[in-house]
Amino acid sequence: MKKILSALLLLLAVYLSQAQTKVFKEISDEISSQVKAIRQDNVLVGYVVFTQLEKASADSFNYKLTIMDENLNDIGNISFRDQQLSLKTVSFEQDVLALGYIKNTVSRSESKNKRGRTITTTSNQASVFVQFVSLQGKILNTSNFNVQLSRDSYYTRYGIIYSPWYLKHSIQLSNIPQKGFACFYGEDQKSYLLFFNPSGNIGWKKTLENAEAYTILASKQDVYVLLKKNEKMVEGGYELIGYNVNDSSLYPKHILKDKQGNSLKALSFENDPVTGKPYISGYIINPSKGNKFLRVKHFGRGPYSGVFTINIKGDKLADIQSNYAYWADGSQSFMNTKGHFTENNTFPRFETSFKDYQGNTFFVGSALTRKPRWGMIIPGVITIPLVIPPIYFFGGGGSVNGKTTQAVVLKQNPKGAISVEQFIPANTIRIKNGLHPITDYDTRDYYLATNSDTKTEYIIIDDAKDISIYNVNQKKVARTIPHKDGKVYTYVFPAKEGHIMISEYNKKERYTRVSIEAL
Amino acid sequence: MFPLKPLLSVSLIFLFLQVNAQTKALYNYQDLSHLFYQKQKDSLQKAWVCPVIYKEKETQKKYKEFWDQRTDFVTGAIAADDYIHDQEVYNYIDGIISQLMQANKQLMPAKPFLLIDRSSSVNAYAMGNNVIVVNLGLIVFSQSREELSLAIAHELSHNILEHAENAMKQKAEWLSSEEYKKTLNAVLDSKYERLSRLKKVLENYSFNRSKHQRYHESDADSMAIILLKKSNIPFNADFFIRLDSADDMYHQPLKNPIKSYFASYNLPFEDTWTQKRSKGLSTRAYNFRDTSHIEDSLKTHPDCIERYNKTKSQSVSNASYTAIPANVQERANKMLIWNMYSNMSLTPCLYRILLEKDKGNTDEWYDFMIHNIITGLYYADRELNRFNAVGVVQKEYISKNYYELQNMLEQIPREQLEQYCKVFQNAGFWKSMPSGEKALKSFMYTLALDPDNSDKNKSQAAKTFTADNSTSMYCEFARIFVK
Repeated sequence: MKKILSALLLLLAVYLSQAQTKVFKEISDEISSQVKAIRQDNVLVGYVVFTQLEKASADSFNYKLTIMDENLNDIGNISFRDQQLSLKTVSFEQDVLALGYIKNTVSRSESKNKRGRTITTTSNQASVFVQFVSLQGKILNTSNFNVQLSRDSYYTRYGIIYSPWYLKHSIQLSNIPQKGFACFYGEDQKSYLLFFNPSGNIGWKKTLENAEAYTILASKQDVYVLLKKNEKMVEGGYELIGYNVNDSSLYPKHILKDKQGNSLKALSFENDPVTGKPYISGYIINPSKGNKFLRVKHFGRGPYSGVFTINIKGDKLADIQSNYAYWADGSQSFMNTKGHFTENNTFPRFETSFKDYQGNTFFVGSALTRKPRWGMIIPGVITIPLVIPPIYFFGGGGSVNGKTTQAVVLKQNPKGAISVEQFIPANTIRIKNGLHPITDYDTRDYYLATNSDTKTEYIIIDDAKDISIYNVNQKKVARTIPHKDGKVYTYVFPAKEGHIMISEYNKKERYTRVSIEAL
Repeated sequence: MFPLKPLLSVSLIFLFLQVNAQTKALYNYQDLSHLFYQKQKDSLQKAWVCPVIYKEKETQKKYKEFWDQRTDFVTGAIAADDYIHDQEVYNYIDGIISQLMQANKQLMPAKPFLLIDRSSSVNAYAMGNNVIVVNLGLIVFSQSREELSLAIAHELSHNILEHAENAMKQKAEWLSSEEYKKTLNAVLDSKYERLSRLKKVLENYSFNRSKHQRYHESDADSMAIILLKKSNIPFNADFFIRLDSADDMYHQPLKNPIKSYFASYNLPFEDTWTQKRSKGLSTRAYNFRDTSHIEDSLKTHPDCIERYNKTKSQSVSNASYTAIPANVQERANKMLIWNMYSNMSLTPCLYRILLEKDKGNTDEWYDFMIHNIITGLYYADRELNRFNAVGVVQKEYISKNYYELQNMLEQIPREQLEQYCKVFQNAGFWKSMPSGEKALKSFMYTLALDPDNSDKNKSQAAKTFTADNSTSMYCEFARIFVK
């Protein structure tokens, strides 16, 4: 990328110095790029830059694909011409790069209404375009699937407003080790799962049952789809289906519910780092308080009863091993029935979870505290007889506020028992208005980085002011990087295995330095 | 008195030369171009006034633009310390130029302004206005005075033939021509493939320019041979063939495994550090057609083989060649290595040192530099910049040993790297190091190992270093941390 950027800048600098600025400005304005990480088995192996260079004809463009290795060194370019494309996803297997695009074939037609005004109507035709590129720089194969796009409508005082057309369920690509690629996409009413061999030929295609959301995961010889269905418990309704890649046979469906029939909320759907088989982990939803989860006061009331890990060890239902751990039943000494940690009276808002090499599941999120907002409660109570003021005091800002000063890691061991692994110091976030969704305030990002050589797991906590790198094995923060140090702004992104990408923008000197550093 | 045996006397002379080379300090901080050439820079800025040669305002304006760009390039490079004035190296190159000038007074009435560029690139360049620049990389690469003289004579010929001036004129004329404007407007008027059309316009222009330049290069080769002949410097067309291998520096293998170089400092080493552990595309068998290379028609220089074939008939047969004095090459090499280090190009810098060790060079300055590299790497790691300090290069462009060294510098665990720093800080070679080097050791400790990692502490240490060692060449490095 650094080379591409510098090459483009050099190109433009040379051009600009030599010729009329207008020409180059107009032409450079037509150039746009998208960068995607290339992953294989969920490990970042390189990057691809997809550049739309120019309009080539009335309905086609010239494109360039630049493929870079994991160290951001260019390894090759491919040029091609096609209709308007937007790159959505990439995957890699058997030295073949699969790229999934949305090909926009939306046609416009104009007509006059009764008042003589011109009305432009667009059709919702588009296609999913999958391209297979070899490391010899050849386009091996392409596939095109026509799709119906969707759009949302909003009623306003001025009439109905429509959103732009979009594909209801965007393309997902995942490599299947030694086999090829799994590809998913979905229209409003129909969704599809396909298997491609490494040459880009279709092995099979399945129509999936309708759902709100889909996540695919390739695991050894299987492809699994986690469906999120519409259910009474809005965070629940997950079902798992799986296909054998070789014969496309369907495995028995597994509905995600605990033994009491409580809905489960999936936080992670990944492959186990040791067995390579899928697991799902997340929250057990409290049947009575479960649908209230937006605000800090709702979290404090205990919308979840516990956590779970489901290990899919085989294709039969009997091969599914589930571990449920509850706090709502009062069985945990370190947590009360609402899920509050007794040590510091905080309650967790887990955002992600992962399994380590020892078979433990770690749940990671913010530790929140909830406090009464006396500044609103007292005047609200005093002014109750006046009717209107209490509405302002209780309705405008709520009676509760909160804050978070720590992240928390909860461990569930292979037998299912849970314990607090660590409270990690983090930046203070104050939740000032209890009526606002907690997601407006708790903007911490958590993601996992693994070093498979040393079998070490790291949690990257991207906080408001700092980025903390927590070593799970050593139970300590290995490094803290401030986002802003003087005039230098630092951001962290996923990188090759065992590394993170550091991007430093120097506002004063106006340059960006990118570095890929070992954890 | 009794005569010394010839072998013993040769050994003693060699020993003397070695000791002399080891003890003689390199340049001073004040020899860097921003200080040494300050006056010349100012006078050059005043003296280089663009002559009025075109009646058309636009062409003259373009010409002035290019003229000023050249002035800015030279003055900018002087200010950025791209050049160095090392008396010994300068005198040696100047001696070659003087010899060429004395024998070709008609062609070279005035002495050129010589600059020594610190770049490791095997190159020299003429900038017109009687300015010639010779890179340290060329001095280190050249095997004989005659080989170096050919490169210098070639660049002097460019100045004599006014190639730089003519190129600026041609460029100004083309860019202000109606034809060029028409083609650009045609690009804007076109609905489709505007970038491709624009590229074509510029490629055609570049092609015309490079075609001229290729003629220029042949002319410069021919004139260089004349200059050499008149100066009684033998010409050998084989020099062009050797130039072809100029980029092979890092393809050169090491004599020993990487491990052995570190074992000599009693440092622990694990072979796994040298093996690439990445699962990334860099380890895969990719084979794209190289689209980054310049089309032959656009190259400014003809291929070396073509130059060889054209000039081989003029080679002087059975000529004897003069070796470049060891102290000149040694100094040039050390300056080049230090410059690479200052620019934090740590892997190529270390590789060059290991190649030097392969030659049997026991100069402890190179041990001092390995200390700097390891400590610099640890400092870069602390600053989350190890990746850039290593400068990962794809395997196709380097030798197996370089690849292993690069992997090692990238993958050696942080704790081991810290241990390396500590071992180097207490190594035996420091006893014989001059005070400037010892002071830098202390400064490097502050950068990499001091528990106080604050900018304030580093700045204070840098201030102390520069105050106590104001003439040391290492001030250049320390000054970065003063602010």
